[in-house]
Amino acid sequence: MNVNLIRDRLFKTVVRSCFALALLGMCGEAAHAGPHESRAVMQQHIIKGKIIDAEGKPLVGATIKVKGTAVYAIADKDGAYTIQASGQAVLVISSIGFVTQEIAVSGRTNFNITLAEEVGRLGEVVVTGYQTVNKRQFTGAATTVKATDAKRDGITDVSRMLEGQVAGVSVQNVSGTFGAAPKIRIRGATSISGDNKPLWVVDGIILEDVVNVSNEQLSTGDPSTLIGSSVAGLNPDDIESFEILKDAAATSLYGARAMNGVIVITTKKGKIGISKVSYTGNFSTYLKPSYSQFNVMNSYDQVSMYAEMERKGWLNFGATSRFPNGGIYVKMADLINEYDETKGQFGIKNNPESRRAFLERYANANTNWFDVLFKNSFMQEHAISISNGTDKSQLYVSTSYLNDGGWTVADHVERFTGNVRATFTPNDRLSYGLITQGSIRNQRAPGTLGRVSDPVSGQFNRDFDINPFSYALNTSRALTPYDENGNLEYFRRNFAPFNILNELKNNTIDLSFIDFKVQGELKYKILKNLKYAFEGAYRYAKTNQEHSIRENSNMPMAYRADGDATIRAANKFLYRDPENPEAEPIVVLPYGGFYNTNDNSLKSYNLRNSLEFNERFKGDHQLRVYGFSELRYADRQFKNFNGYGYQFDKGGVPYLDPNFVKMIVEGNSDYFGMERRYDRFLAYGLNAGYTYKDKYNFGGTVRYDGSNLMGKTRTARWLPTWNISGSWNIDGEPFFKKQTLLSRATFRASYGLTASSGPATNSSVVLLNAATRRPYLGERESAIDIINLENSELTWEKLYKTNIGFDVGLADNKFSLAMDYYSHKSYDLIGLIRNGGIGGEAVKLANYADMDAHGLEVTLGAKVLDHSLVKWNTQLNFAFNKSRITKLKNEPNIWSLIGPDGGAKEGYPQRGLFSLQYEGLNKTNGTPQFINEEGVVSDAVYLQSLKTAHLVYEGSIDPKLTGGFFNNISYKNFKLSALITFSAGNVIRLNPAFKSSYSELDAAPEEFISRWVLYGDAASPSIPDKREEGRLVNSFPYNNYNYSTERVAKGDFIRLKQVNLSYDIPAKIASRLNLTNCSLSLVANNLWLMYSDKALNGQDPEFFSSGGVAMPIPKQFTLSLKVGL
Amino acid sequence: MIKHTLISKTILGVASLLVFSGCNKYLDQAPDMRTDLNSPEKIGELLATAYPQANYITFTESMSDNVSDKGSGAVDPDNSMPYFFKDNKNTDGDSPTNYWNAAYKAISAANHALEIIDKQESAEAYKPFKGEALVARAYAHFMLVTLFSKPYSLQTSNTDPGIPYVTTTEKIVLGHYERKTVAYVYDMIEKDLKEGMPLINDSKYKVPKYHFTRSAASAFAARFYLYKKDYTNSVKYASAVFSNASFSAYLRPVNSTEYMSYQYNELQAQYTRAVNPANILLVEAPTAWGRSYATNRYGFTSDLMSKLTTSVNVTGGTWAYNIYGSENTINIPKFREHFVRLTLNAESGIPYNMIPIFSAEETLFNRAEANAMLGNFDAAIDDLNDYIASKFIVSPSLPFYDESLQVSIDKLLEFYDSADRTQVLINCILDFKRVNFLFEGERWFDIIRHGLPVQHKKSNGEILTLGPKDPQRVFQLPEEVQSSGIELNPR
Repeated sequence: MNVNLIRDRLFKTVVRSCFALALLGMCGEAAHAGPHESRAVMQQHIIKGKIIDAEGKPLVGATIKVKGTAVYAIADKDGAYTIQASGQAVLVISSIGFVTQEIAVSGRTNFNITLAEEVGRLGEVVVTGYQTVNKRQFTGAATTVKATDAKRDGITDVSRMLEGQVAGVSVQNVSGTFGAAPKIRIRGATSISGDNKPLWVVDGIILEDVVNVSNEQLSTGDPSTLIGSSVAGLNPDDIESFEILKDAAATSLYGARAMNGVIVITTKKGKIGISKVSYTGNFSTYLKPSYSQFNVMNSYDQVSMYAEMERKGWLNFGATSRFPNGGIYVKMADLINEYDETKGQFGIKNNPESRRAFLERYANANTNWFDVLFKNSFMQEHAISISNGTDKSQLYVSTSYLNDGGWTVADHVERFTGNVRATFTPNDRLSYGLITQGSIRNQRAPGTLGRVSDPVSGQFNRDFDINPFSYALNTSRALTPYDENGNLEYFRRNFAPFNILNELKNNTIDLSFIDFKVQGELKYKILKNLKYAFEGAYRYAKTNQEHSIRENSNMPMAYRADGDATIRAANKFLYRDPENPEAEPIVVLPYGGFYNTNDNSLKSYNLRNSLEFNERFKGDHQLRVYGFSELRYADRQFKNFNGYGYQFDKGGVPYLDPNFVKMIVEGNSDYFGMERRYDRFLAYGLNAGYTYKDKYNFGGTVRYDGSNLMGKTRTARWLPTWNISGSWNIDGEPFFKKQTLLSRATFRASYGLTASSGPATNSSVVLLNAATRRPYLGERESAIDIINLENSELTWEKLYKTNIGFDVGLADNKFSLAMDYYSHKSYDLIGLIRNGGIGGEAVKLANYADMDAHGLEVTLGAKVLDHSLVKWNTQLNFAFNKSRITKLKNEPNIWSLIGPDGGAKEGYPQRGLFSLQYEGLNKTNGTPQFINEEGVVSDAVYLQSLKTAHLVYEGSIDPKLTGGFFNNISYKNFKLSALITFSAGNVIRLNPAFKSSYSELDAAPEEFISRWVLYGDAASPSIPDKREEGRLVNSFPYNNYNYSTERVAKGDFIRLKQVNLSYDIPAKIASRLNLTNCSLSLVANNLWLMYSDKALNGQDPEFFSSGGVAMPIPKQFTLSLKVGL
Repeated sequence: MIKHTLISKTILGVASLLVFSGCNKYLDQAPDMRTDLNSPEKIGELLATAYPQANYITFTESMSDNVSDKGSGAVDPDNSMPYFFKDNKNTDGDSPTNYWNAAYKAISAANHALEIIDKQESAEAYKPFKGEALVARAYAHFMLVTLFSKPYSLQTSNTDPGIPYVTTTEKIVLGHYERKTVAYVYDMIEKDLKEGMPLINDSKYKVPKYHFTRSAASAFAARFYLYKKDYTNSVKYASAVFSNASFSAYLRPVNSTEYMSYQYNELQAQYTRAVNPANILLVEAPTAWGRSYATNRYGFTSDLMSKLTTSVNVTGGTWAYNIYGSENTINIPKFREHFVRLTLNAESGIPYNMIPIFSAEETLFNRAEANAMLGNFDAAIDDLNDYIASKFIVSPSLPFYDESLQVSIDKLLEFYDSADRTQVLINCILDFKRVNFLFEGERWFDIIRHGLPVQHKKSNGEILTLGPKDPQRVFQLPEEVQSSGIELNPR
């Protein structure tokens, strides 16, 4: 049952009544001439009563009308009404979702009326964002989720509310950081290089992304992911319902943007006759992660591993003092070298006993970095909404405030939202409304730079990474955050002192996000069956990222590290003057730190005109025709500015060394940049639906899209999409009535073409200016580079969707079953195609790839118990999806297939994970060996090789099976619900742990306890000795091991996502407190990973530990209070 | 198509009922800030990328007889595959395929410029750029035909497969091309060169050393005609490079006191600087060559050093080069790396080397060789003596040049123990060039032009020989060219 439709119906009813009232002059003095009713003939009585549903709950907002007149009344919050009518009058009582009743007054003055629910007719509507269609007449595959069902208290991002709710919608939390979008897919991936993100639509208007964060980018942990979720600015309390549109018929009106499905969000409106103030308060706390979940060596084992490293020549005294990075051994070397004149001795005596004593403290430290860096923090969320409505105007106003103290010491989020929605209905023909929505977000995150993939060594690198989660997992537990005196203890990074707590305090990203939308709508009834509607929206969003790297954090210190000639020669952050090649490198950041900003803004508007015709002919035939034209416009601006030498603690005055700017310019970098992008979109669409005898429905849509992303020719730019669909309400057939097992049955089928614009923009040749990459300023000049050649054949990515489904209700709708089978045939997908290069572009993006996918979705619902006291509902949904790339001309290299994100290869799923075939350890030195690109056993594999035949296919990156299992038991005023989500059929690359050389900063996983030490044992790879490492120049066997068949786990998991226990304070007590309702709930989110592959060893099957700002989803407990006035 | 029109008509019909109608202009907005080629200045900027930004040195040097197996060191397929006379399937890095792709990218830039220039009504302002585009296009094709086809031969070039000579811009995904013949490619190069050279105007260049100036174009012409065995033209254009002045002032003064006092980094830096008069044309190329040529496993060894630079040479003196490095890292500093980090603080980035593609020395040798072939022995000897005066010293203990080091035709005949004057001159030129262009990949071009065999020793003692007729001397085309209707080289 969809509340939104109820409101719409209600609204229409009211509009009609009001119109009649106006005509008849009963509700105002503006009397019209010619009333047919005789005015004062009959004696008027005051009739009172209460309108309730079958369960005895008051039907707030039900209308009571005196038949044949315009006199009406609306039931109040207790369902009570008062109306004047004559003794002979007939009352018509109606409420959306209930069967309308007519009752003759017959002289009585008190009626308590019970309305029966209108099963299977009303309530089941589909809001497509363009139209609202009765589910009985809807021919597509769509799932409605009421916000009250999906809302998970304590979950602040709307996009995560759909987890486990809908068959075929998979939500993968690749990062749990606020603002980072989960990887959402409706019916799997449809494109190979495109985004595969569903389209978000809020109140009929497409929500444009401020920045487009691709699926691969989602898991990078880069700062841009913080603004990846387009719905992070929505107040979850404002949401009325979600509609997930899946097949071609359901998404038809979105035409060339509908390839990945559509999620339509409807927000709340004011309700007629109800004046209500609601408050929701959520108070949450997180659990700190604990080492027991993970597999990290304790400090004792760790120091014993260092001892082996020392034996193998990695930590020789003398060399250690010149290491750019180091922990306890480097510190020891420093102390041995440090002569204290006052005491007349060295920091540590250079003898085995003193050294041992020094190391012992650290061997026993067993630092709990999670304790140091994480907090059981407090998050509060308050939302207040006021809803008010009369027959002529309805108002909904809400505001919310979120304050998340942060799970780690480095993050913090604050969000304000405001929402005003007003609807006016001055007369029966006209209605108009305004929505103003805004949100402000302030967020702090650990300072981070972008991640870089290095295909030569096979590593992902991020400079100056201080992500607390990765730090806790990857930093040796032998290091200590505080020294013996309780002061921060510094170790060495980039030749400069480093302490994580100091760093997290002094290297931060402050993100602010302002999002503002005004939306207007106007509806006018031209004829009884013809409506015109206009919708327009303007949205302005701006984000600002301030990356403050204060002077005493590691990065500026690294720029100032010039201790001795060796360090000066090795420190890459010093300036080398190209004009003076023999000069020593010098410091060019003598004072201050960095102040880097990154601004993105979006200005968009959206205009739509539509005409809707809806007529019933001769009782049995109903025809609906809907036509529209739409214009979308979005301008985006991206700005960045890097400030050098900013002195945070000296009044914010920058200290500029001109050599710094010279260094930047000579390094072909820019210290600022600005870029604009323009989206222009036009669409025309026509949709028609025909229903015969309320049993047979046929629908069809054609839509014509044009975009400035496509070529300038008519054929490239404009794309027609279409679909046909039908449904059969079997329960309307006479034979259906003869049986009792099934209470409801509908069969649906649809077929059609949808599309997406794809990631290529080279409809014309793409030329970009850049400075030539030459070392001397005098040799620089501005050059224009051909980025992409023109592709006159560039066109939209397209997809034929077929869907067959049925919905069945059994045993008086006690059980329900919905099942859909679909088949996707994607073609003209954009893929990389390697060609001979003779045209000037050896690897082109072109429409040269095809992919097939199919899947099955099942939703089972049951009212297991339906007592007046005890109720038990359960719902199980699951979906199966399998994709296969049938054509892809690109030859991927090894590196692109073995990484955690997998790669695309013909004959395999959209993203398949491949591994190097592990061939055991070298018997003499414990170096891992693999089958290399030539099919030969070797420790070296050339990762950039295009010869991928010897790789082992492990499986798909995306789960084949996803689903959720939901149970809700209520007893009296208590309610207990639990949501279990599950997913299966994918593989996961284990986090990389092996290297050819280890720094004594790294924490080793426990695999290292069973490392190869002596000849011949089959263990995990050895720690190479220094000489061995020298032999391994340009071959990276230890790193290759990370990407071998040994380092893969199954992605299957079952997770107890949420448990919710709530208690409704009984109405009596509530009303004594002057409250209409009051409830209290205790919610546990992400409570328990019930099952996952043991090989994961504590690694989360959903989370990509990529550093930066990425953080897993915490275990969270929330107390939620809901009060209505 | 019919269906398409029908649907279009229906929709447009409906659309016209509504408020918006055919707003093609609205959709003409470019989606990003891409550049439009709408001025001579922008054409000039586009032509800054009309030079193959790739490095051929790694594969030409590794294939040549300037390298040997050190027994240890970095092994990169870009270095090892050519050493073993095998095709390198790598498409990035310093592979032949990468050079192929970069050369055609440069050609594409030239063709895009020409496409716009040819549409201009007032062509005057565009003329100098037309000249540059034509010569740049000719140069890229010349390098391609030299590396990927058999060397020019009066006997077989009419039938030897060439490389596609591209004169239009590609606007479809997979264009169709033809290889035609080496002779055809040479004709096309000559046509573009002759048409382009007179249009060039040096004053239009902001950084002339990175563009085809008149001298650079002449240096190219001198090389082109030498390879084409048109020696008269080769001499003519070589002399035009420095306007018939002596080359002496332009040669790297390796034996000067100042030069010999340079430290390693300084030597490295000055070698490829634009201000160095010896450099006639430079191009920036992403390559790891500068950082790896000393440490590559298959590189310059002490055996080679004693054979090439320390043994007795025709002058009786000693090469003045300061040779650096230990046993396994012997090198002459020539390439200062320009490392462009991905972001300012990043560890990763792209290393660039400035590659001297035309130099005073090379042009001098080209003229000397052409003169030798024409029988102008005196002129050839004069050039060689100019060269000697800049590169040799009497001995390490007498580190200065002396006129006694000069050569004469008799000295050559005696040293090379031959009566063939042309041949001894050629021998001397090849010997000088081999040392002069160590680590610069030039040796390979002499090997193919003069049919010299190359021998490489494997670590197991086996000796690989690349004979004069070996098909492996012609680098293999990228496999994907077959999708454009092109045949690969025989193997």
